[in-house]
Amino acid sequence: MAGAVAALAARESGERVVLARRAPGATGLSGGAISVAHDPAAIATTPWAARAGVVESARRIAATVPGHPYDVLRDRLDRLWNAVEFATGQLSGLLAPPTGRNRWLLTPFGRAHPVATCQESMVAGDLAEVRGVLAVVAPRGHLWWDAGLVASGAVRARPLGAPEVRVVPLDLFMWEDAALARPFDLARMLEAPGAAEQVGAMLRERLPRFAAAALFPPVLGLDPAARVAERVSAAAGVPVAEFLSDLPSVPGLRLQRALEARLAEAGVDVLVGDVHDATGPGAPARVGGREVAAASWVLASGRYVGGGIARRGALLEPVLGLPVLASEGAFAEADARLAARAPGALTVRDSRAAQPLLAAGLKVDPELHPLDAEGRVIHDRLFAAGAVVGGHDQASDGTGMGVAIFTGWLAGRAAARAVPA
Amino acid sequence: MAGTKRYDVVVLGGGVNGTGVARDCAMRGLSVLLLEKGDLASGASGASSGMIHGGIRYMLSDRAVTELACRDAGFIRRIAPHLVFRIPFLMPFASQREAATLAERASWYATEVYVGTYDLYQPLKGGKPSTRLSAEEMYALEPSLRPGLHGAVTLDEWGIDGQRLCLSNALSAEAHGAEVRTWTEATRIVREGGRAVGVGWRDVLGGEHGEARAGVIYNATGAWSPEWGRGNGVAVTMRPGKGVHLSLDRRFSNFGIICKAVDGRQMFLMPHEEESIIGTTDDDYYGDPDDLEATADEVAYLLEGVESVVPSIRRARVTRAWAGVRTTLYEYGPTEDALSREHELVDHAAEGAAGLYSLVGGKLASYRAQSEEVSDRFMQVLGRGLVPCRTHEEPLPGGDEVPDVQELAARHGVAAGAVARLVYRQGSLARDVLRLTEEDPRLKLVVCRDEGLIAAEVVWIARHEKVRRLQDLRRRCRLGLAGCGGLDCARLAAQLTAHELGWDAERLRAELHDLLEVSWRDRRPVLDGWQLAQEELLRAVHRGLGGL
Repeated sequence: MAGAVAALAARESGERVVLARRAPGATGLSGGAISVAHDPAAIATTPWAARAGVVESARRIAATVPGHPYDVLRDRLDRLWNAVEFATGQLSGLLAPPTGRNRWLLTPFGRAHPVATCQESMVAGDLAEVRGVLAVVAPRGHLWWDAGLVASGAVRARPLGAPEVRVVPLDLFMWEDAALARPFDLARMLEAPGAAEQVGAMLRERLPRFAAAALFPPVLGLDPAARVAERVSAAAGVPVAEFLSDLPSVPGLRLQRALEARLAEAGVDVLVGDVHDATGPGAPARVGGREVAAASWVLASGRYVGGGIARRGALLEPVLGLPVLASEGAFAEADARLAARAPGALTVRDSRAAQPLLAAGLKVDPELHPLDAEGRVIHDRLFAAGAVVGGHDQASDGTGMGVAIFTGWLAGRAAARAVPA
Repeated sequence: MAGTKRYDVVVLGGGVNGTGVARDCAMRGLSVLLLEKGDLASGASGASSGMIHGGIRYMLSDRAVTELACRDAGFIRRIAPHLVFRIPFLMPFASQREAATLAERASWYATEVYVGTYDLYQPLKGGKPSTRLSAEEMYALEPSLRPGLHGAVTLDEWGIDGQRLCLSNALSAEAHGAEVRTWTEATRIVREGGRAVGVGWRDVLGGEHGEARAGVIYNATGAWSPEWGRGNGVAVTMRPGKGVHLSLDRRFSNFGIICKAVDGRQMFLMPHEEESIIGTTDDDYYGDPDDLEATADEVAYLLEGVESVVPSIRRARVTRAWAGVRTTLYEYGPTEDALSREHELVDHAAEGAAGLYSLVGGKLASYRAQSEEVSDRFMQVLGRGLVPCRTHEEPLPGGDEVPDVQELAARHGVAAGAVARLVYRQGSLARDVLRLTEEDPRLKLVVCRDEGLIAAEVVWIARHEKVRRLQDLRRRCRLGLAGCGGLDCARLAAQLTAHELGWDAERLRAELHDLLEVSWRDRRPVLDGWQLAQEELLRAVHRGLGGL
């Protein structure tokens, strides 16, 4: 996500942009919505309506989590919203326009999860907006999801503003072999002509009284152009949405594909392959056998899934060999010894606590220049964005995509400005 | 309060010695209650190397241990043929120099003779005799070995799933009338006039409590014995030794490989079920057995030892580190490795607790013989005359026959790879498990691709295998232990289990969190390489989306 946003932002500034990558990154493995920040000051019983909006939440995180990218960028947070609007604008067919407050979407684990924006096919499932009963569909033909568990997230959140929920068993996925299909196959099955309409008609028969929306597993078509959610909704006579996905993630793949399509449309040159012989801006590097020279570089190679940070006996940044200095908790201050510490020393026993090993990455200045162990800028045309930047546990702290979009947007624009005339 | 009930024998501890004795005593007609404060096999039995080896290491000091172990390994193969698999080992001849010295050659010859002597015991356990391999033959069999080795001898051993072995004994004991309570702790000994006449117990999950009276109380709580004894006014002395193993995400080598650690200790890398295991450390342990974790230096020590003969181990993906505490007979002075693996039944009569017995020492491979010896003694104490032991003749549940995998796979339309793993775990009961898919074809869904686990087996386990917590499935079917760490399987297995056991959504979430927490503790000391990418995904899904 960070790399794509940086490329699109630099492209918008009129520069020629190459996006070099090893493989699709963590975005395709995401739940398919965009979390930016939720209010750290809220306690479990604070009603959603009383919680801070997305940007104010980011400010509060900056003030309370030392070393978090929002803290490093605290003087630039007034631009966070521009970045979020830029990214959602780039993906406008897929993503719904953000409202400024968090939407609350259910997950397969029975939890209401705050997101700044989500796919159009998820909007009707925003618990804070459903006025009436939310019908949670239980497909009787497949064991992968437990509608009762999903619905429990809304039951628990009733005092916070969630609607009443009702589980509605449907004879869905009853056809041959569907019981053993993986989510992608189920999504494809619903794209077939007549399939979505049939599901909608079934739902119409079973809708509870006062149903205001119906929630399905996140398999309402792989291709957004098949408009599965809309078709089901039209046949059922009620707004229809998907809940968020764990892995494998159909919405995650949709998001990745939408990014690819947008990059191609915007004229970004995408090169696939390992990066070799990279020394930094100005000098050529080889990407998948081709030689690439660029005046400005944005390193947006992700954390461990993306391969931007690795640990092979010690923590390292494999492309340019930059020092891994930033983390959180006890390691929030730049620490040259971080990289060599044993995994046990960089983690704690309680899995819910902050885990410095999983928050490790590059240290950057407010211009997103990576810094060396002495705090010096390594190169003034080298920028870093997304999860390769340390100081936040991007997988779990609810700011991951927001940091990717914000730092990607800032770094892409800065990289474009830094190109010598 | 459940009130007071009478039994002939109360067994404390659901490890292999506790479940083995419960089975033996129940089969001889005694009424038995087994109490386990956690899950079955949650201590040393479940953290053993998973071998019923003949104890070649003990041949120098304890030849009786070797013979007993080999004989009993043969019996275990007979009563649980599905759970036992062959692990051929290579013992490479290494020299520090290019040309081996005379002394080194002499020591290799001694090794050959030594292994040759072990061959005398191999027929007892159905093992193959050893072979001397030239360097060329050795590299053809195991190309991952470092260059410059001078050949090897082979050594045949048996692997086993120690956790399912305990479960099978417990289920068999129940089938013979015993009562087995897991997640139930023995709170205190009830004493009357110099005798231990019973124990109080408390269900740690439900809070129910009661008292059990018995003629014999058998303390088989392993590493927990000394502390439990202190709390109850009896002394159980031992030399507890911590043993750490590492698991790799796949079968890394074709053969088991014996290596030398930096301090000269023997250790191994071996393929085991769907993974490879590196083991083991042996260090005196004075800590709390409930608070056992592998440390960075133990992990480094094990990897370094294997690296000396298999250099590519540094590129392997270590998925977890796990630890157990051995209980060896107390001796002051000898190093850990030199301690005897013999066992001893301690009679606490002199401490005013006649009728209370504690087991110290022993090994997994000889659990059945140890249990027979202990049960003989209890029959005598209880004055119940001569009822012969039959635990070496009657198969454990599912052990009567090993069904044909291809035939079952074809009949039920389930992938042969998954059926093979099902048959491995369940033996002949695999037929009953697959029958569930005839009523509900959804149960053919694969829950874990690493372990070949299908939904029907999870349902079967929840119904029939004494599951009280989700984490019990770690020990029934290795849920969440393989490379994926629970990414694919944890939620689905939790949903299926919750449905069977009537858990509501809050209990399901609590159980899921508990499972993930214990799994995290195993992975924490070894997070490196691609395992870190897996951890990032796990965290995104379970912490990020699940809020667990």
